[in-house]
Amino acid sequence: MTTRATRGTRRRTVVALAVILAVLSAFVFRLIDIQVVHADDNVAASLSKLSNSNPVPGARGDIVDENGTVLASDAFVYDAQLDPKLIDDYEKQTDPKKKPKMPWAEASEKIAAVVGMTGDDVRKLVSDALAKNPNSQYAKLKNGLSTEKYLALRDLGLAYIANKPRAIRVYPNGAVAGNIVGFLNGEGKAQYGIERMDQQCLAATNGSISYKKGQGGVRIPGSERIVGAVDGGTVKLTLDSDLQWYLQQMIGEQAQRQGAKAATATVVEVKTGKIRAAAEYPSVDPNNVNTVDPEYWRSHIFSDAYEPGSTFKAITAATVIDQGKATPLSHVTVPAREKFPNGTVINDAFPHPVYDYTLAGALIDSSNVGLSKFGTQVDPATRAEYLERFGVGQKTAIGFPAEQSGLLRDPAKWDGTTMYTTTFGQAFTVTPAQIAGAYQALANDGKKIDLSLVESCTDADGTVHEAAAPQSEQIIKPETAAAVRQMLENVAVQGGNAKTTKVDGYRIGLKTGTAQKTDGHGKYKSGVFFTSMVGIAPIEDPQYVVVVTLDEPTKMRSSAANAAAFQQAMTQVLKTYHVAPSSEPMGPLLPKFN
Amino acid sequence: MSLLNVRVQPRTETRPAPARRLRAVTAPAGLRRPKLAYAALAVGGALAIGAAQMIVSLASTQDAFALAKLNNQQRELSLQKQALGDELVALNSPQALAAKADAMGLVVAGAASYLRLSDGAVLGAGDAASWVSTVTPNGPTKVGNALLAPPPSASTETPADGADAQGSTADGVPADGAPAADSTAQDAATQPDLPPAITDGLPSPTTR
Repeated sequence: MTTRATRGTRRRTVVALAVILAVLSAFVFRLIDIQVVHADDNVAASLSKLSNSNPVPGARGDIVDENGTVLASDAFVYDAQLDPKLIDDYEKQTDPKKKPKMPWAEASEKIAAVVGMTGDDVRKLVSDALAKNPNSQYAKLKNGLSTEKYLALRDLGLAYIANKPRAIRVYPNGAVAGNIVGFLNGEGKAQYGIERMDQQCLAATNGSISYKKGQGGVRIPGSERIVGAVDGGTVKLTLDSDLQWYLQQMIGEQAQRQGAKAATATVVEVKTGKIRAAAEYPSVDPNNVNTVDPEYWRSHIFSDAYEPGSTFKAITAATVIDQGKATPLSHVTVPAREKFPNGTVINDAFPHPVYDYTLAGALIDSSNVGLSKFGTQVDPATRAEYLERFGVGQKTAIGFPAEQSGLLRDPAKWDGTTMYTTTFGQAFTVTPAQIAGAYQALANDGKKIDLSLVESCTDADGTVHEAAAPQSEQIIKPETAAAVRQMLENVAVQGGNAKTTKVDGYRIGLKTGTAQKTDGHGKYKSGVFFTSMVGIAPIEDPQYVVVVTLDEPTKMRSSAANAAAFQQAMTQVLKTYHVAPSSEPMGPLLPKFN
Repeated sequence: MSLLNVRVQPRTETRPAPARRLRAVTAPAGLRRPKLAYAALAVGGALAIGAAQMIVSLASTQDAFALAKLNNQQRELSLQKQALGDELVALNSPQALAAKADAMGLVVAGAASYLRLSDGAVLGAGDAASWVSTVTPNGPTKVGNALLAPPPSASTETPADGADAQGSTADGVPADGAPAADSTAQDAATQPDLPPAITDGLPSPTTR
């Protein structure tokens, strides 16, 4: 039973409840709207209003040599700018309390002293900017200030100077290994060398830092959010920077002495295929690339393919011996000029009577006719296959930027002349790196190991990623390699450069090469050559291969021009790596003639 | 479980509803006086919590200032380190070291000799190192480094010592690259405007 009074109470309760619920649901609706539906927008809006967010740039990784000597790293410089309007405002300020302590006339002199300008220059910068735009807030003072100068400017305590830091690449050793290390362009993009080849390891990932600021710019505790930058990794090369410097200094002096346009010296460790030095002249200084012609920004050791000439006679000898067609003592009749059955005429570089050359003798005197006769005992397809095995026609495993693969034509299409010239290093092209690789195989008992230039990449967190182990392949029999080395030693001892290439205390083997250069119109340049000298030491237990090339020497035009450079390079290499002097005496000399 | 074990409770008789216990009060019960101690405890507790929170908050704010100060100090020191590092960069580069060593009369010698301890035999070149450097770091050809200010000694000392070098070559100091040395001598003769190339280093050290 309900009375009127209880009915009224109930109705009031219901209405009150309805109102409360309505208000509550409105709040809930708004809450969900704020917290769920527009949550992301609101968070973003709050962060943008309340907090500061700055990118945290990661540092690009270092490039170091085999001993950890830094060849490239990041550093900071500062770009200073002035606020002309603020300076003007201060000058016009009449309230002595608001006027800065140091008047502009005095401040400009102090600024000028720091940045190395005159006070008038600095004042002119400001007045020019104001003349252009009375509200100008930007006038470039000077870019690229050192930290020391930046600190000096900052300590002046002037409100109208702003210094922006900027990361730059610094190469502490300058041109030492400059052609190998490479450089970045103005925008920080890798252009050449290792900088470009190992961009993936070196590049940093930028992070960010965001925080809320309280009064006075103090960061509110607990409001910081840091997404850490990941610095780039450190690339460790196989080079030795001290040896590299010596060879660059030496090869530069020798190139000047011989009046050569350019020169290179390459050192390869026989047992590992690691390149220990890759010296070039002219060499680019990555700190200031404009000191040399842009042609020398790239590494010519990898990007200059040329006809090697006589250095590849040793490869022909290896082919013939490996195929069982000859031994070092096999002999052929060799006139100075021979007309072969297909009409091709081959000349020796020097006049001589008809000799009965042994293979060793033909190598010692570097007889084109002799090698043509020995080489053609093996069919062209097999010879081409051997050249390929020695690395001709394919890039080295390094994959250096702008590397050339060289050219080896299909043996089926070799013409009459090519049939013979390929036996003495013509009609195909190789880079100095490929020559070093070919001789590495001869030195390492026929086992060719891929050349390498990078030892490892170490991440910022210390994880070391070793470079993939180089591939190796037995390309000729060990006995063949030994026989060729024996002949190369005889070339070193009995050849024309025996005196000038002698390395005291060591037995070495070497071969010279004087290659003709194309003039770009299908003919050879007359009178200028690309000369080279390749050697192995110590010959009884090969440790290092050294390749020295000179581009168009003009004082001595033959490969004899390379003798002094080769001798110095080999001496320094053996000294640097503490290679034990030869203790076994050389065996009996191989006869040149039958 | 067997049904035999289930004890059925006999239903009890429903009793008549008990009489209502509510009665009209005769007089309101006297209000008990609230105990002051509890109130004081509650208020005191609240104040204590408030105070503690304020202290903690102050302390952490203070820490923020200390942290900011230390951060500033760290930034300042790392800038100083950077400035000092800038001064040192390139000073340990091979060219800089070689140029200084050369200016002091040190030479890069030729082949090394080794002493075998077991029998005292000398292996390798076996003769004393030459006075003649195999390279001339302060000569006209240099491995460049834009980070190095040109060493003042190089330009002032080189011409004078160059004359010595030429003289010593004439004295017959054996050089490994003898033909090359001759050609450079000619080179220097034909191009008098260039500083004389010192092919054989600096034979007379100026320091003792």
